[in-house]
Amino acid sequence: MKATIYIILILVAQPIFGQTSIQGVLKNQSGETIPGVNIFLKGTYEGVSSEIDGSYEFETTLSGNYTLVFQAMGYKVFEKEVSLDGEVISLNIILREAINEMTAVTISAGAMEASDEKKAVVLKPIDIVTVPSAMGDIIGAFQTLPGTANVGNDGRLFVRGGDASETSIFIDGLKVGNAFGTTATNVPTRTRFNPNLFKGSFFSTGGYSAEYGQALSSALALNTVDFPVRNQGDINLMSVGGGYTQTLAREKSSLTASANYFDLSPYQSLIKQNFDWERAPYGWDAEVSARQRWGKNGIVKAYLHTESSGMKIWQPMYGSEGRGQLVGLQNHYSFGQASFKQLSKNDWSYYGGVSYSNNVDEFELDQLNIRNQNQVLHSKAVAIKGFSDKLSIKTGLESYFYIYEEQLKSEGLKRDFQDHHTVLFTEADYYVNNKLILRGGLRTGNSSLAKQTWLDPRISIAFKFKHEGQLSFAAGQFSQMPVEQLRILDQSLKNTRADHLILNYFLSRNGRTVRAEAFYKDYKELITYEVAQLFPMPIGLENIQQNGEGYARGMDIFYRDQTTFKNTDFWVTYSYVDSKRLFVHFTEMVQPGFAPRHNGSVVVKHFIQPLKSQLGVSLSFNDGYTYDNPNLPGQMNAKTKSFQDLSLGWSYLPRPNLIIHLACSNVLGRDNIFGYQYTNEINESGIFEGNPIRLQAPRFLFLGIFLTLSKDKNANNLNNL
Amino acid sequence: MKKYSIFIIAMMLISLMTQASNEAYEKAMRKELQQMKVAKSPDDFKKVANGFSRISEMVPEEWLPDYYAGLALVNAGFRSQGRLEEKDAFFTQAKKLTDKAAEKSPNNSEIVALQGYITMGELSADPNSRGQHLSGVAMQFFGKAVDLNRQNPRAIMMLGQMELGMAQFFGQEPGKACGLISASLKLFEKEENTKEEDTLLPTWGKEMALQIKESCQ
Repeated sequence: MKATIYIILILVAQPIFGQTSIQGVLKNQSGETIPGVNIFLKGTYEGVSSEIDGSYEFETTLSGNYTLVFQAMGYKVFEKEVSLDGEVISLNIILREAINEMTAVTISAGAMEASDEKKAVVLKPIDIVTVPSAMGDIIGAFQTLPGTANVGNDGRLFVRGGDASETSIFIDGLKVGNAFGTTATNVPTRTRFNPNLFKGSFFSTGGYSAEYGQALSSALALNTVDFPVRNQGDINLMSVGGGYTQTLAREKSSLTASANYFDLSPYQSLIKQNFDWERAPYGWDAEVSARQRWGKNGIVKAYLHTESSGMKIWQPMYGSEGRGQLVGLQNHYSFGQASFKQLSKNDWSYYGGVSYSNNVDEFELDQLNIRNQNQVLHSKAVAIKGFSDKLSIKTGLESYFYIYEEQLKSEGLKRDFQDHHTVLFTEADYYVNNKLILRGGLRTGNSSLAKQTWLDPRISIAFKFKHEGQLSFAAGQFSQMPVEQLRILDQSLKNTRADHLILNYFLSRNGRTVRAEAFYKDYKELITYEVAQLFPMPIGLENIQQNGEGYARGMDIFYRDQTTFKNTDFWVTYSYVDSKRLFVHFTEMVQPGFAPRHNGSVVVKHFIQPLKSQLGVSLSFNDGYTYDNPNLPGQMNAKTKSFQDLSLGWSYLPRPNLIIHLACSNVLGRDNIFGYQYTNEINESGIFEGNPIRLQAPRFLFLGIFLTLSKDKNANNLNNL
Repeated sequence: MKKYSIFIIAMMLISLMTQASNEAYEKAMRKELQQMKVAKSPDDFKKVANGFSRISEMVPEEWLPDYYAGLALVNAGFRSQGRLEEKDAFFTQAKKLTDKAAEKSPNNSEIVALQGYITMGELSADPNSRGQHLSGVAMQFFGKAVDLNRQNPRAIMMLGQMELGMAQFFGQEPGKACGLISASLKLFEKEENTKEEDTLLPTWGKEMALQIKESCQ
């Protein structure tokens, strides 16, 4: 009986002295109140959220010792032991910020990223392929970004006073040898890869991570699509060819196969060409790409691409009669790679893979038959360890085999070289807080052929302001072996070198992006040589030396706006480059032909809903290319008139799965000149006669019809534009 | 006999305890579901999401608390008037919670539909640059949700909404889209008639379907 009374007493009494009130105000380290914090007693249903003013209060009937937990997005979890005994508990807590990858500062010096997933991006992948002047070529779109020069008669990527060989291209982190199609002099080339393959890209115009090497000026890292979303077939019919792509998508794996054929003959028979073609460019390519999920957090990708193309052209020999010299070109190219990514326990992650490219060029020059073969085998393994949310370290080991061979088939002559690089790199990222990040990296390598070991240190630092803008600084050393065509002549050649200094400001807010960058690049140990005969083509290089030098300095500005005008997206770019070099056949410091001083572009895209159409306009210009005029003293002593190109594009979507795309370059038909070719001997008036170097036609007209076949009728291949 | 009674008492106690914890779970869930019904501002939804997260801490094996926490955050994201980053923070958190629910209950039509709904939220936050990429992803989720359960009115409604958006964009007949919306309304009615009054399972969406239906007329 006594016991029963006792029990009743306890039951009744509990609410009287068992009600405990917990209250307080929550602030962050800068003294601002934090709303929406989840506050609860661990192991119970009791809890509350903080109000707008950061205050919280709740009452509980529990008694005894409990853990009070404070949980909020962007903050570290805070736990506190409390004793519930009826006394009011008052706790004003300052929550510590957690490093948040989505909002924290990122290093934007030198970098221009295009991604659907990340935040500090300049462009989305889709924006890249819808630039009218790009004509579906990835590089064409990059030529409208700051830091690049448009060298229309070459087509490759020229970054900040660097020549085209100074840009290295990577797919899923692995090196791509001969990423551009082989072409004849003054016939612009394109990248070999279909823009549809890639979900994002990272384009750096300097100061890049220790992960990338053998590139003096620029690294372009392309990332392939992880998993396509549906089964579909894509048919494309273009004014220059056609192709078919089939995608099979499963939950854990997918397969994409495509085949394309192009031939410019029909097009060229309709539209008058400046060049004397014996056989217009033609070719085919086929590729297969497969992806497979590996366990819960892994992915394995494989990609194979093979292609063959050819052309025959009469290159004029100025000062001599006839059609000139017949140049025939056959190119066979294969690229294959396999890569993996794996997230592991304890904040370890791994990625890596193997890539192989094999490029064979067969040239016919009059009676000469030349065969060049370039092979690159790259393997790479990288481990990243996150020690805390503030510090992570990436370490990688790489191996490169370069095998290059030149054959003079008609003479039965052959020469070659092989080089093996072993590379080790490590890089640490340290977030002081969400506003400040430091990165330091080291890249060291050894070349078996050059018998050289090098060490390239790189650092960067970035700070994010209150207004979301961020300032980054990067500095580093970069090494790159000379081009194969020179190394085969002198196998003892060492690395050429460049030092970069970059200061960058980046702000992206409410659909507007501003990016401004100043840079200084110092070149050392560049190659110089003497040419036995320079005109009309350089033949016989002698006295190869490695004492060249040079610099490039300047600034660029990029502004993009997707908000101000309805349904309109535009960007404006201006780059100033002051570059002089002593290299190749130069005997003094001069401005190279591929480094115009003032460069600009404007891209505007406007969607017209009632017409179901997107109109695109892109304008590119520069102040002209320097060239050698043998009638004047000195080198690079003349400059062409300004280069200007206005391209228009029109994409029409009559049905969700059908796109018709029409584009025309240089609509105004401006007579762009990229330099002059001079006769070998003086004429009667005592001067060398010059002939302007032009494109094969003032305009290029493109018509494409893209049809997607899928169960999902809304699918289309907009990315092809 | 004594042994047996101890055993029976022990069994009764255990079942009482589980019943008590079940009751506490259901009570807490009902309270938050009620809060969700009256929630208006993103802050209200944030609080509801916090509430469901607390329940999830207590019953880590249940998918419903994570599902509803995710749903509350999507609603917060849709209603947010803030900058893109703020909206995205809601959707990112919603995605995390929904993925957690999906791990506990794989191939669940409701969860897959919610994943699609989150994708729709991200798309609507920046349609110009995300439309092309995310509309395919959202369609994929809704298609899968319908495949998993053809009787799920929410999956069919949202599939209809996406189809309607596409039809409007391309100036096509919205017949198929509106058919889906009507079908979802029938399923909503069926759900009302068959599900228990106080079920914790998802029943939301009918009002949304009625709203979409209006743009069909």
